[in-house]
Amino acid sequence: MAIDKDKIKLGLIDNIVWIICIILYIAFIFLRPQGFLSLQNVETILRVGSMVGFLVLAEALVLLTGNMDLSLAQNTGLSAMIGGYVIRVMFPDLSGWIGIIIVVAVGGLLGAINGFLVGKLKYNAFLATLSTYLIFDWATFWIRRGTIVKLPSIFVAAGDYKIGGVHIAIIIFLGVAFLLHLFLTRTEFGLNVYAIGGNPKTTEMMGIRVDNVILGVFTLAGMLAGLSALIYIGYIGSVTSLIAQGRIFDAFAGAIIGGISLRGGRGTILGALGGIVMLGIIDAGLTMLLITPEARGVLNGFVLLIAIAINMYITKVRDRILEPR
Amino acid sequence: MSSLNKDIPILRVENLHKWFGKVHALNDFTFDIYPGEAVSLIGDNGAGKSTFVKIISGVFPQTKGKIFWKNEELKNNSIEMARKVGIETVYQEQTLVSALSITKNIFLGRVITKDKFLRVLNLKEMENKSKEVLGELGLNVSSDQEVRFCSGGERQGVAVARAFLFKAKLVILDEPTRAISPTGVKKVMDFIKGMKDEGIAVILISHVFSQVFQITDRFVILSRGEKILEKKQKDTSVDELTDVLLERH
Repeated sequence: MAIDKDKIKLGLIDNIVWIICIILYIAFIFLRPQGFLSLQNVETILRVGSMVGFLVLAEALVLLTGNMDLSLAQNTGLSAMIGGYVIRVMFPDLSGWIGIIIVVAVGGLLGAINGFLVGKLKYNAFLATLSTYLIFDWATFWIRRGTIVKLPSIFVAAGDYKIGGVHIAIIIFLGVAFLLHLFLTRTEFGLNVYAIGGNPKTTEMMGIRVDNVILGVFTLAGMLAGLSALIYIGYIGSVTSLIAQGRIFDAFAGAIIGGISLRGGRGTILGALGGIVMLGIIDAGLTMLLITPEARGVLNGFVLLIAIAINMYITKVRDRILEPR
Repeated sequence: MSSLNKDIPILRVENLHKWFGKVHALNDFTFDIYPGEAVSLIGDNGAGKSTFVKIISGVFPQTKGKIFWKNEELKNNSIEMARKVGIETVYQEQTLVSALSITKNIFLGRVITKDKFLRVLNLKEMENKSKEVLGELGLNVSSDQEVRFCSGGERQGVAVARAFLFKAKLVILDEPTRAISPTGVKKVMDFIKGMKDEGIAVILISHVFSQVFQITDRFVILSRGEKILEKKQKDTSVDELTDVLLERH
């Protein structure tokens, strides 16, 4: 039947990032079988991926509204620093649990500042988050230029501990991604996010408080940056002033590779997850092939260019399939 | 039922003024419309038609003047309030989100949810209701089709479906026949006739009033924010309306 054929085609197109992930993984198995045939490698890819993965999810969320957040990685750095500083320097007797809450809450608060600027004060998202990028970045160094060590064990658990041989970071990350997927596809808030990305003026005319939705999205994205901070802290075992530095490029790359439209209103969390996994596979593969970090950086740029071209092509094919005949 | 009382105007505005800085966009405009009636607002660009529409739709407030809904004053009007009382506006730019499905567009801002806290969408019920209303309107489109694949006439139909589904009492169609095919125009005229039969009042904003002449009960001509003519359809003609407009041009 023609309809079923179209559904299969759509299914393949919508999940192309995962198909490419499988192809890449198989290619690396041939190139480095001893590394890529082990489950340990999959676990490592996911664990490392989960750190920047939260930032990809956060950026994807903001991009879906047709905005962007350049300050997310700096938010991660600052919320980690504030959390570490409060529980280790200011109030050393505080429980690690409080530290966890502080990090996520600070992340959310920093995100809310961006949301207020963009949603309520109608600042251009690029300029607003470029400004907060600088503020968050230098505020981190202002608090402490260096490292905070000897952190409570529970404070580093998210990024360090394992359950049943699997790092908690992976479980938290996949769980959060799943919840975010449900939130975006099954709730009124999610529908409003897509509607704003598709046409903010129309959405406003339909009686939806666009400013509030944008404020909510940036706040949620900030909380995801805070979760990313917790994973980083656990992975490193300390808080440094360089946490997540430069990772904003990966956040954008993962989201775009995963099919999130820069214009807003298009893309899925499942796709963004694929983008994260693809970046992880490429990174692991190139590391095992002993490619230098410099060459890897250049290659990542080319990967992004190819991803953009594929997405442009896919959009056209998708439209052809969806167009009523 | 008071909502069906054809002797009480569903909407009445008295001495409405709107200033945008030094521009007097609407000047002492008084207007009313009754259930089941279609009134065409005519005028050139800048005549004040869109300003009037946006005031009664709650997009922005009037500077001076009063708005009455079924003889009760509508104070602090807003988009939410206008929709709540039953004013549905289909703007020239068509208030649809192209990348969303027809169902999601119909329910945007008024979704059916399974709970009050998380507001989980009841997609099945929304889908069923939109299929039902699209069927009633004779729109041969799939409810899960993205709006960007709809023709101009179908887009108007989707917006009208919204008005039908949420039992609007007053529907404002801003340039309903603009950029649509002759078949689409006929379809839109059928939608308007269907709404009038249901007792829905319709305000039509149109440049091409020859297209809406037959369906209109009353014409109001605006020029530079002022009402310059008000006539029943049976007492006027396309030629007379054209002459009045040309004289003021």
